[in-house]
Amino acid sequence: MTDISLEKEQKIADELERTFPNLTARVRRARRVMASLEKELIPSVLVHAKDNLGFHHLSHMSVVDWIEDEHFEMVYTLWNHEKRVQLTIKTMISRDNATMANIDTIWRQANTYQREMREMFGIEFPGFVGEKDFLLEDWDEMPPMRRDFDTMEYANKTYFSRPGREDAQDVRDTISKRNGEEVPDFAKKYSREK
Amino acid sequence: MAFFDIKGLVNPLSTLKQFGNKPHTVEYPKKHKETADRYRGLHFNDLEACIGCGNCSTICMNEAIDMIHLDNIEGSEGDSGLRPRVDNGRCCWCALCVEVCPTGSLNMTKQDIFISSDADAFLWTPGVSNPEGKDILSFTSDEKTSLSLFDRVPMPEMEGEERVKSFAETMLYYTEEAAREEASRCISCSLCTEVCPDHMHIPEYINAIARGEDEDSIRIIYDNNPLGEMCGKVCTRRCEDVCALQVRGDAVAIRWLKEYAMSRAETADILKEIVNPDIQPANGKKIGIVGGGPAGLTAGYYLALKGFDVTIFEANEYAGGMVMYGIPKYRLPMDSLNKQIDYMKSIGVKIQFNTKVGKDISFDDIYKNHDAVFVGVGFQKPYNIGIDGEEANGVIPAVSLLFDVNSGKTPDLGHKVVVIGGGNVAIDGARVSRRLGSEVVIMYRRRVEDMPADWEEIEGAEVEAVDIMPQTIPIEIISDENNKVTGIKYLKAEMKADAGGGRPRPVPIEGSEAIMEVSTVIGAIGQEADYSFLSDEYMNKIEINRGRMVVNDQQQTKDPKIFAGGDAVNRTADAISAIADGYRAVKAIEKWLMK
Repeated sequence: MTDISLEKEQKIADELERTFPNLTARVRRARRVMASLEKELIPSVLVHAKDNLGFHHLSHMSVVDWIEDEHFEMVYTLWNHEKRVQLTIKTMISRDNATMANIDTIWRQANTYQREMREMFGIEFPGFVGEKDFLLEDWDEMPPMRRDFDTMEYANKTYFSRPGREDAQDVRDTISKRNGEEVPDFAKKYSREK
Repeated sequence: MAFFDIKGLVNPLSTLKQFGNKPHTVEYPKKHKETADRYRGLHFNDLEACIGCGNCSTICMNEAIDMIHLDNIEGSEGDSGLRPRVDNGRCCWCALCVEVCPTGSLNMTKQDIFISSDADAFLWTPGVSNPEGKDILSFTSDEKTSLSLFDRVPMPEMEGEERVKSFAETMLYYTEEAAREEASRCISCSLCTEVCPDHMHIPEYINAIARGEDEDSIRIIYDNNPLGEMCGKVCTRRCEDVCALQVRGDAVAIRWLKEYAMSRAETADILKEIVNPDIQPANGKKIGIVGGGPAGLTAGYYLALKGFDVTIFEANEYAGGMVMYGIPKYRLPMDSLNKQIDYMKSIGVKIQFNTKVGKDISFDDIYKNHDAVFVGVGFQKPYNIGIDGEEANGVIPAVSLLFDVNSGKTPDLGHKVVVIGGGNVAIDGARVSRRLGSEVVIMYRRRVEDMPADWEEIEGAEVEAVDIMPQTIPIEIISDENNKVTGIKYLKAEMKADAGGGRPRPVPIEGSEAIMEVSTVIGAIGQEADYSFLSDEYMNKIEINRGRMVVNDQQQTKDPKIFAGGDAVNRTADAISAIADGYRAVKAIEKWLMK
């Protein structure tokens, strides 16, 4: 059996909280530690984790769009190969004028992730040098992974509807016509969108 | 260098050691690498399993999916008859359509290559264009991975032991939070509206609840059903049988959601304020309605809104007919029904209570004093059980028991009651008898799964410790010298396949005869209409076939001035069918009188 006490994980969490007073860290389960803190301290925490705590590897970077709270959540996933522990570091940044520190000086692979985040979510990294286009070519719309990007509107604007599709039917209309059901006008706003 | 170089001859042969190895070069005929486990290739739709709900088409953010008619697929109950067609030129292979498919008929296959120089060839009807796709399914959805919400929000209920102590409502109904959550499961496909006899606007009123607009929900319900709260509590809810979610999970609790919305209007005044109906000015036409049951009340309500002068003649002290006197109060409290009827009265429906047509007033008077007559008399007269000893004291038809109890009486049924029948009336009779303090046994000829009663009612009876004896045929009621019931003789039956292809038939097992001691026998094997209020003249004018009045698709009888609806007309004999009849008659009466 593997050691199920969470001692090594707790040590990492404690060490992080001791070093950075505004950071909260918790052990999620064996080999998983999660920390969250304010945006400004992210580069310092990453450098500290890499240089002093043995998290040499940046496994992943990601963004979550919390549109209702007007925030993006930046997520950095690090791996300590020696202790076999994954550290997830999260921070919230404002959704308007979203900017975040460039960390490709700490890990070169962050360059690729940041290009993707810039293109897909519109997050700017001041001082960051990277090719402008990542996957999209000549994109001048809203960044498409933002939740307020209307995929349907974009698809309809950009791609014409193929001829030969005019026979499409609406399910609600088909059924109500078959039964002579008259849906009153005031109720139609609750019918399924066509 | 030697003249004869042995190495030069032998070394090339060393390549032979690669003979058994797998080549790295392209092989011919060309072999494809196996796709990943959940690869999202071209769509495949199982056309038999698909119900045409259109959820795939709605979710598609690329508008790549249309719902279309196919030549060999006809719509039916629970199937719109439409099937999806995909424009593969627009599809982005996100597979949301597969993840939201409630039946699991739509899947994606391993097929990752399709080449054609004809752009139109990319318009596919999955399942028709690629029948071979069923063997190479790759991205499928099961109950766990599907994004459909298959589990119904549970309905809080009273404990079984508590229930039998009183006639309090056994269902505790949804809270606001539970109702919103349950309503949010609906995918608004509208398949349910087809099987609802009244074609209520179900997706719309459920969606209104989901969005927190309960008052709109009430207004939508009142568009064609003036007894929404009653239906919310006791409807036979055939809608739920065809719910798209019911294929792989629990149907949306359409009935309980309607109850939730209607219960927001606590009094008749609040109900009037919310519905805020548009009442047309009086048009001078008078309509007489015989019977204040669901059919008569519905016809009366909508006719009054259209400016007709409506009078309902009701034999009893309260209106509602079978739903007032035939449904136990633990399912439908009197206050609830009276609230709905009080609201009808407030918008101008006149009801003459305690007026039995044929006794207190003649049908002829009503016929002559009104411009049109609607007859909604229902099935009041119980059938006899049809076995020996039936005339003994202590043999009661279930509808009479329910009538007495709902009128406030508490008959003494003795220690043990046997109920004969398997429909909702039988279950009601049994559960009421439990509340009167008796032990109860239900005898039913066929199996439990054959019982026509609502499964939730059967479960309710079981929770309340009603003993159901399936495959039991009563043959004789035994009574003592005072003609008082003392027991019932019965046979056990086995189910035999029907030679005519019908449902299996119960056949008595020889020698299985037994006697059970009972104090009361309740018969619940059906009712028929009582037409004694009609004189021969009217009986001849209105055609009656096998106990039912014959009407056209407008609810009009052979006498154009007489319209009819409810149990005495339709074959489904439930409240919602009666409401549908009443609503249809309103349109027909208006068309006939106001032409």
